[in-house]
Parts: sequence; structure tokens; C-alpha cells
Amino acid sequence: MIDRLTAALQGSRADFTEIRVETSWSSAVSVRGRRLESATASEDQGGFVRALNRGCGWGTASFTSLDQLEAMVVRADELSRAVRLDRPIRLAPVPPQQAEAILDLDGDVRGVPLADKKRLIEAYNGAMLAVSDRIVDTLATYRDEVSEYWYVNSEGTVLHELRPEVTLSGTAVARRDGTIEKGLESIGLRRGWNAVQHEAAGFRAAAERAVGLLEASSVQGGAYPVVLDPELAGVFIHEAFGHLSEADFVYENPQAREMMTLGRRFGKKVLNVGDNGAAPGLRGTLPFDDEGTPTQDSALIREGLLVGRLHSRETAAAMNERPTGNARAISFRHPPIVRMTNTYIGNGRGTFDDLIKDIKLGVYACSAFGGQTLLENFSFTAAYGHMIRDGAVAELVKDVVLAGNLFQTLDRIDHIAGDFRWNQMGGGCGKAGQYPLPVTEGAPHVRIEEALIGGDVPA
Amino acid sequence: MIDGLLELARHRVEGGGGADALERRVERSSVAFEWGRLKAAGVTQEGGVNLRVLHRGRVGIAGTTNVGVGDAAAQHAAPLLERALASAELGEEVALVFPAPAKLPRLATHVARAADASLERLIQIGQGLLERLAREGCQVNVAIEREVAETRVANTAGAQGTYRSTGVALSADLWRIAGDDVLAIGDALEGCDLPADDALDGVVRSITTRLDHALHIVAPPEGALPVVFTPTGLSAVLLPVTQGLSGKAVVQGISPLGNRVGEQVFHAGLSLTDDPLASGRTASRPLDDECVPSRVTCLVQGGVVQRFVYDLETAARAKTESTGHGQRGIFGKPVPAYTNIVLGETGNAKREAWNGLGGGLLRDITDGLLVDELIGVGQGNVIAGAFSHPVALAYRVERGEITGRVKDAAVAGNAYDLLKRIGGFGSDARWAGSRYAPSVLLEGVAVARR
Repeated sequence: MIDRLTAALQGSRADFTEIRVETSWSSAVSVRGRRLESATASEDQGGFVRALNRGCGWGTASFTSLDQLEAMVVRADELSRAVRLDRPIRLAPVPPQQAEAILDLDGDVRGVPLADKKRLIEAYNGAMLAVSDRIVDTLATYRDEVSEYWYVNSEGTVLHELRPEVTLSGTAVARRDGTIEKGLESIGLRRGWNAVQHEAAGFRAAAERAVGLLEASSVQGGAYPVVLDPELAGVFIHEAFGHLSEADFVYENPQAREMMTLGRRFGKKVLNVGDNGAAPGLRGTLPFDDEGTPTQDSALIREGLLVGRLHSRETAAAMNERPTGNARAISFRHPPIVRMTNTYIGNGRGTFDDLIKDIKLGVYACSAFGGQTLLENFSFTAAYGHMIRDGAVAELVKDVVLAGNLFQTLDRIDHIAGDFRWNQMGGGCGKAGQYPLPVTEGAPHVRIEEALIGGDVPA
Repeated sequence: MIDGLLELARHRVEGGGGADALERRVERSSVAFEWGRLKAAGVTQEGGVNLRVLHRGRVGIAGTTNVGVGDAAAQHAAPLLERALASAELGEEVALVFPAPAKLPRLATHVARAADASLERLIQIGQGLLERLAREGCQVNVAIEREVAETRVANTAGAQGTYRSTGVALSADLWRIAGDDVLAIGDALEGCDLPADDALDGVVRSITTRLDHALHIVAPPEGALPVVFTPTGLSAVLLPVTQGLSGKAVVQGISPLGNRVGEQVFHAGLSLTDDPLASGRTASRPLDDECVPSRVTCLVQGGVVQRFVYDLETAARAKTESTGHGQRGIFGKPVPAYTNIVLGETGNAKREAWNGLGGGLLRDITDGLLVDELIGVGQGNVIAGAFSHPVALAYRVERGEITGRVKDAAVAGNAYDLLKRIGGFGSDARWAGSRYAPSVLLEGVAVARR
């Protein structure tokens, strides 16, 4: 394959050409209630060519028929030439890389019969169903993939990788009369079959939470001191801050550039944020991004000050900064764009109890159903929460929606505990139609001195 | 490829089974204008086959993009069938019946002008829009994508259909950042043809009107207030209802509407229809992805729940018939999915002249909100109906007029309760993606400020 790709590169007239080819084998088994929903094995393959000429824009071609490779190289060049630019696109230099990277397959999922995968996910689904007869519906899904990946560019970079992934997800729906609640479990690893053999406890906990929420009352809306658990804190930093640090938002927008000036204060001294595409063993980890740039640990906020951002080669050149290895594509169907990898809030000091001991009335918001940011404004739905009363965790509450202004909220983070952990969840990040991109988030417990909790809004 | 594949499958499936398959080939061309200038042009060629077998009473699924033409295609058929049969070995029993041949409605899904439009033409449309949206201190992104597809579906009972289709999607977003105030206002068009001039005028008018009203920021009101949801802003209120009307949710026992067919659940003015025959829409098609001919399905009429949407499998489980809502991709099995959702009158109803944001509903509001976009729609326990969202783009309405944009406000309520209290429908019905709806005034929506 490498020979074929390098030969195709030779056929390009463009100043810069890159080719990605991927073949992926995946299987998925879903169980709903007491029934198998589906069990499938799929094979997907295709390629992506991107070409750039001086004074011109990007030309791209994506295709599923590899017979078309040579024709698509020509097409991408033609498309690039059709886009005339006054200000040229430059690419920040990256030394040519040659690598043969076989990630740890940890039990190659391609060798495991579909029937074994079905047995595994049925067992986890059974763990949810066994919790209570109030569990009226469940959905448990096992999914795996091994992707063989080739990347070459006209500057001499040649990469060949084998990338594994395995994800488990569970939804338990509990019902009592007209009340319906759900609990979620999600695990995503850049590993294989061996890594997902002992996960029943998490599925059981999701079902217990759904049943527990049937008895919980809605949180009373208002402003509270709020403590985020590491999972929600991770989702928060990814959504509310991470996307702003992606340089494609900033690099050609003067007003955005001003808003994101390096050195600007974003938080108190306790706040440290970064993105580490090279962290060992995580789902967002890869040796190189999809432009062949080595991944790295990039500091974004240090002691409350903005110190960095995430780049592709194009955005780095435009801002006279260095590429950070954050140009990623979810598949051969898409161009690489600036994305996060493993985004984190750095560890603080002390314990969870230290965070809550002086809170008279507050909310402990846990886990996430979802989150969305529209730049300065965000909204996160916690999977569940507890009231904090007189320095202790009190009753379970539901409908905990955390909403606010990013700048104000980051600035109100006043205490970060020393209990950092990565949250190895499934799902993924979405941007510009590319979803789900494997990412990881990590954080310790985080306290916000005051935040708005939606939920039961008094009319 | 699929005819040979189904022939192979016919000989292999046991126990009175059968098979159906979908083949789709797509070519897309796209141009992207980023921060005010043309940056990239691209093309995508994609083809694939999705096969379902009913073997010994069990369903198996397989999909592949590894499809060639001619002899090459025949080589790929056998391994695909083997994978589908292996999937069926594990599959659950379903009393699936593949539909017999039926007459298909006539429907134009392919517009030659769109299919033949050159890259230069797409660039020209984008450039024109960009120039008309240019404003001091604002940045504009425009993306245009044109798709030409051929779809073939067939089954071993002899039903089949082939159609070519075109789709053009255009989106424009205007960004204005002033200090820490970030404002993004977007609009989008979608249809089988290139956008007409009046549709492009509509995009410019919609974005500039909302921008002009947004420049002045006012304090949000508070309390239980009348709130007008624009055709795009309606999503938070309609999402629980469309989820609840899906036969899949009904079969699972999680739909609050599951046992309420024939009941007056909503305001008597509310009607919802799924229309796969709407002319010029990209979601329209002569038959669904399981060979069931397309027909209009009335979901809610006069506030009374009429029926749910089903694909073959959920219909079999619910012991009813498919409503022709099977949708399948290359990978995975068919699922029930809506085509074009029409709120109120049908999509072909004549539109009244533009009379400002809110389609005439603001007149009688003493103090309230106009909500155009909310943050976090679709998160949480949607189907239960309760929602609480901060506003992304909303305006205060005082004494019948928009007085400015509100920030730092949230709206909350229960969709099922609010849709009993509809205060009026606007005269501004339009397509927003695959939904056709006017602005809707809802009474007593909880508005909170922070």
C-alpha cells in the first residue's frame, strides 16, 4: 500500500499533496430490554486526498473505491486550482516523519467471535435488568473497531498505524406511573477485548441511579455554590473552554483573536488546563495527528492565564505559533480540522471533603447527560446531583442543568481537589459535521463559588 | 449489485425467510468560505450496500463500502451475504414480512439544473451571499454542498424501486464578537434544486433583521410569560413530541403518548404531519429504504393523537403495519425515522408577505420573549417533555415590539403542558431543515434570568 500511495503522490502536480487511506473492521452488538437489537460486522474503506497550490485554496477528494486513487489525486489538484486566494495559505513546518506504529491491540477484537461479544453485552444488560422491576427498558451496546491507517505526504512523511478501539454503553430507563428516568454508563478505550471483561458494576450502578431518580425531586433553580464531579468537570472544560482554544476559531477573526490574547486572565491561580494527545493509553491518544504532526501535551491555561492554543499546520503558520498535533479527521470522509485530544483540568490539592465542608447550601453535580456551548454561553445537563447541606452530601436531586457564561464561570472556580482522574467514556466530540471523534476528558473535583442551576424554574 | 446479491440470498435463507437490500451511490461537491473568503473546494464519491436477511426466522444485517462494478461487484456479494447470515445466527426472532410489489407515487427528486451546476456556479452563489452579508466588525462563513445520488432498494418478494436524487444545502453564519459578547446568527437552505433568488433574499433578510435587533442588549424579563418560538426556535418544544410519536418509543413502552391515540392531548389548533411527498425537499422519496411506498402520515390532527411512525421491524413488534418510515444507512439496521415534518397546514400552503420576526404574533404581547435558538436542546430526559435551556439568541418583546436582545436568560417548561396553551400561529411558516412550521406563541413559559 505504501508503494502505491507514494507512486500516486508522484503523479500529483500540486505544490503540496497528502493522502490518507483507511480500512476498518468493526462489529457492534446491541441489546434492548430482553431482546437482541442487532449484531453486525462491517467493513469500511476509503481514502482522502488533499492538495494545495501557491495562491490557491485547499482541494479535497474523498472516495470509497480505491481504484479511483490516482484519478482523485488529479481531482484534488484541480479543485485546489479552482480556488483563487489573495492571501496565501501557509503550512507551519513539521519535519518529515516515518513510523510504523502498532498500538497495543490488547486482545485483537477481529479474532473474537460475534457470539462472544453478544454474550458479554447480554451479561452487562442483564446486570441492569436485575436491579429492579421498575427498569422498563434498557439499551446496552458493545462496539469495537480496528482501523488500519496509512498517511503519506509530498514532504516525505510516511505513516502506517493499526488503531484499536472498544466502547461499551448502557442506558437504563426506569418508570413509575408517569415518571420516566434514565441512568447512563459509558466506557471508551483505545484498547481491545481484554480491556472490557469486568464492567458489570458500572452498568448496575446506572440502573440503580435511574431507579433512585424516580424518588428524587427536581432541584430548585437558582444560584448556588456548585461542586462538579471529575466526569462533569471534564465535560465542562472540554465544552466550555476547549472549543475556544481551537485556533481555527481565532486565526482569521481579528475580534476573536483579541478575545483570546495569550496572557489574558481566565481564572484564579488554582486553574490549570491542557490538552495531551500523547498521554499513554487514552482514547484521544495517537502518536501523530492526521497531518503527520507528532502529538504533545499543550498547556492552555497556566495558573489562570491563557498560555496556548490548539493548532493545525495552517492555523499555526497564520499565527506564527508551533503546530501542536491537533489536526484530526474522524475518517477518510473528512478533512483534518483543529480538534481536542485528551483535555484536562490539572490536579489541585486536598480532598472532596475540603471542597464541601464550608458550603451551607449547594449542589453536587455529577456525571453528564450532555453539554453544549455556544461560545461564551454553555449548558450542561448532569446525569444526577445531590444537595450539599451544612458541609455534607444530602439528598439525591434530578434535572440538574448547569448554565452560564464561560468567562464568569471559569473565573469563579475557587477550589480544585487533588483527586484527578481521566474519564474513559465512549461517545465523542462533534464539530463541523465530524462526530464522534474519540476524545478523553480528565479532571479532579472542582468547586465553582456560584453558578446558575436550572431545573425547576419558579414561575 | 443488489439484484445478484438478493438472488444469492434467496437460495441461502432458510425457514421461509427472505432478504432486502439497499444500494446507494453518492457524489457530493462542496465549497467552503471561511471567515469571509473562499478557502476550499471538495468532492466526495461514496458507494455502499446494506443487506438484511431473514434466516430461520431471525434477522441478520451486514453492510460494506467495498463495492465495485460488474465482476468486482459479484465478488463482493458472497462475503457480504456470509456476514449477514452470521449476524442472523445470533439474531432475535422477528415476524418480519417483506412487502410485495406496489405502485409507487410519482415524485420528482432529481433536478438536472442542480446536478449539472458547475463548481464555479456554486462558488458564485456563495460569493454573492458573502458580499450581501458583509458588515463592519462581523465575519461570515458560508458553506454550499451539492449532492447527486442514486438509490436502489429491492427485496426477495419482488418489490423494488430506483430513484436518482439531488440535494443542495447552503448555510451561512455571521459572527460578531465585541469584547466578550459573542453573537452568532445563522440560516440555512436545503432543497433538491439550486436556491432561488427569493430564497437567498430570505437568508439575507433573516440574518440582517436578527442582527439589527441584536445589537442593543436589554435586561431579560422574569416569570411565567408569553413566549414566541420562531420556526427554528421550536425544536425544544417539538422534540419530545416527535420522539413520543415514534413507534419505536411506543414499542419500548417509554412514550408518554403510547396509549393516547384518539385523545385530545394538545391544543385544538395543533396538527403534525409527516410528508415524504413534499415537492422539492431532500427528505422526500417515492419509497422508503424497505420498499414501502411513500404516503403522507397524519400524526396529530386538531390536537388529537392519530398514529405513530413505524418501520417494518417495529411494526412487526407492535403488530401493525409499516407507515413507510424505514431508514437505513450502509451500516446498521433500518430504523424508523421521519421525512418532512409539517406543523399546521401542509407545506404547499401559500406564505404571507414578510411581516417581521414572529410572523405577526408579537402584536399583543405586553412583556415576553421571542426565542430563536436555545442551548442544549436534545440533552437529558427529552421524551418526558420537561426542558430547561439558556437562550442562545432571544429578544425581549415589550408592548408589541422587539426592544433588544436578551442574554443570560433561560426558558423552561414541559412541552406537553405548553402545547395545550398555544396562543397563536404566525404567518411566517417556512422550512427549517426538514421541518415546516410557523412561529408559535406559547403562554406561561417560565423565564428566568441570572
